[in-house]
Amino acid sequence: MRYFDAAVIGGGVLGCLAARNLMRWNLSAVLIEAAEDVCTGITRSNTAIVYAGYDNKVGSLKARMTVRGNRHFDALCETLEVPFNRCGSLMVSFGPGADRVLRKKYENGLQSGVSGLRLISGPEALEMEPMLASGVSLALHAPSTGTVNPWQLGIAAFENALHNGCEPRLQTWVLGIRHTNDGYIIQTDKGEICCKVVLNCAGLNADKVQELLFPPSVRLFCDGADFLILDKHAAKPQYIIFQESEEKGKGVTAVPTVDGNLLLGPSQRPLDAKPWATSHDGMDFLREATAQVLPGVDLAQVIRSFASVRPNPHRVVWRDGAYIPDGKSIGSFCIENPAPGFYSLIGIKTPGLTCADELGVHLARETAEYLGAGERKSFDPYRKAIHRKDHEIICQCEQISKAEILEAIARGAATVDGVKRRVGSGMGRCQGARCSLEIERLLEAAKRGIL
Amino acid sequence: MEYCDILIIGAGAAGIAAARAAHGAGCTSVLLVDRKENMGGVLLQCAHHGFGPNLNGPEYTKKLLENFPKSIGWIPNVTVLSVSGDKRAILSGAGFGAKEVSFQQLILATGCREIPIGALPIAGTRPKGVYTAGQMQEMMNLYGFIPEGPVVILGSGDLGLVMAKQLAQTGLAVTLVEQRPECGGMVKNQRCLTELPIQLQCSTTISEVFGEKNLEGIMTVDGRYLPCKTLLIAVGLRPEREVIFGLENPDWLHLCGNCNAVHPMVEAVVNEGKRAGIAAWEKIRGSL
Repeated sequence: MRYFDAAVIGGGVLGCLAARNLMRWNLSAVLIEAAEDVCTGITRSNTAIVYAGYDNKVGSLKARMTVRGNRHFDALCETLEVPFNRCGSLMVSFGPGADRVLRKKYENGLQSGVSGLRLISGPEALEMEPMLASGVSLALHAPSTGTVNPWQLGIAAFENALHNGCEPRLQTWVLGIRHTNDGYIIQTDKGEICCKVVLNCAGLNADKVQELLFPPSVRLFCDGADFLILDKHAAKPQYIIFQESEEKGKGVTAVPTVDGNLLLGPSQRPLDAKPWATSHDGMDFLREATAQVLPGVDLAQVIRSFASVRPNPHRVVWRDGAYIPDGKSIGSFCIENPAPGFYSLIGIKTPGLTCADELGVHLARETAEYLGAGERKSFDPYRKAIHRKDHEIICQCEQISKAEILEAIARGAATVDGVKRRVGSGMGRCQGARCSLEIERLLEAAKRGIL
Repeated sequence: MEYCDILIIGAGAAGIAAARAAHGAGCTSVLLVDRKENMGGVLLQCAHHGFGPNLNGPEYTKKLLENFPKSIGWIPNVTVLSVSGDKRAILSGAGFGAKEVSFQQLILATGCREIPIGALPIAGTRPKGVYTAGQMQEMMNLYGFIPEGPVVILGSGDLGLVMAKQLAQTGLAVTLVEQRPECGGMVKNQRCLTELPIQLQCSTTISEVFGEKNLEGIMTVDGRYLPCKTLLIAVGLRPEREVIFGLENPDWLHLCGNCNAVHPMVEAVVNEGKRAGIAAWEKIRGSL
């Protein structure tokens, strides 16, 4: 059995950043991930927004972490060489009801310390962003809102965690957890792992992982969301656009991504039996809402649709032989600490990406204090992005060369999708129709060691 | 920097014809480039007959290349990264490096790309086993891949029919789903519908895709569930003109073949290529 001071369960952006932050301290750590690669769950499908922080209740953990997380994002992305675009956002309204919401958010934002926030008139918003529909009644401009590619950030953090000594355990399923005198034993399908601290960042399975050892306290009740991606050549707004609809939860968000595409979403809807499946209702909603808010967006340029699963944490109570949700979804970040040395992030939704590093810093500090670990002097925060490039272009649409793909494979990409998440191949207008086969062959060759 | 009178991007039927025509009319500085190793473009993956009198794609290519003049410049395995308004193109290729080429006239003969499933209003999961029809044609005919059946093909145009025929001949169960009330392809391509056990379901389309990791089936809009392990999308082609995106119809640019408009017959592609080759040379001669 292997022994580690700390074990992170789950290799999404939260788990990867938690693992990286653990390595800032003098301790040994392992990251356990069920899939064959990191960042294949919720990290793979969300709005990619780094929020300014005006949405959250003043004084709440979420508000504090969001404002701080947002402020630190440039430095985080610079050290990890991940593209980050602080493009700013315009939250727009088209009527008195939504105007009131915007004013409230403005006040909220000011009190929370969001910098540069201002309320502007419809005409001024139109001048700033000519793609907006006329009829905007009020807009909230937040220059600090930005966008990052969430899986690029997660993978970069993972690489840096490994670089600093964290051990990866991919394709490893956690089957059970039990107490020892001074810690925990995690049973997996690949043997047992002994540790003093467990950081449960298991995303959609976080409640189940905690329940492997503790009685249910918080459970996830998921809803679904759909997204659309447009071709790079399609006209797109330069700001992130949030529509504050007269009807709550019925606005569209449009994000000009760091990769150069326009991302539309999310549509909010109940989750049916098939998670990760897009719905007609959701996609239709996105098209209709976008046509209203950004009439210049050419919806014939959609190249991909995908769905997300969004976990809403609820406290549960035992009643009539079952655990049932107690009231409404927990508004704050739900950080459970059911026993010393055991921490669970359960249902970290918006603005989870913005706060991912803050949460990781927090968990790592708690861990270090608990273990009495000092700072690791040799911690190297820097991670280099993939710069190797040659002249043999494999992905025509995104102009990704063979050397980049080989480097992605060398860094752990095990599938065509893994390569895609590392270098962006197959993300263009043909959606991998012309390069998937060649990338499959390169993966195969690498596996057999004939490269 | 290298120079040529006429740069031709794409060495499929249109590009080959354009190069020969320009050369034949008197242009001594023609440069033909392609991202693949061999000339022929999409013809090389067409195992079916029906080009020229009754040739398959590679045979027809051979015919197009008979006595191909050696003095026509030819660079295989290169991607054109960009074309700029000052008549320069940047080429990139293995063992070739990145080179800038300046030209007087540009002929774009880049063909089409296929519409991917993501562009369609189809709900559901995104499992393995979904391909575009041309992608599967390339995988089967150039790399010997054989997909798992049953197969559903969305779109009964010529490409959908050609793939249906080939897959049915391999012994796989094939169902064509066609949105229009009747089959869309040319009559000669429709013959396989009577000769082979191919199902055709018209006036419907795919509503939803099922399968978590691997494809399990599809649902049509009229509520029929078809189990399948392979789904081919053959709903249409889009002219591939991305490399000239942002250039506003300069007078030195000529489009020919399927990047200009989708042609059902290769002869029309060849004729358009010839015209483009001659037109480009006329422009140069006129300015001398």
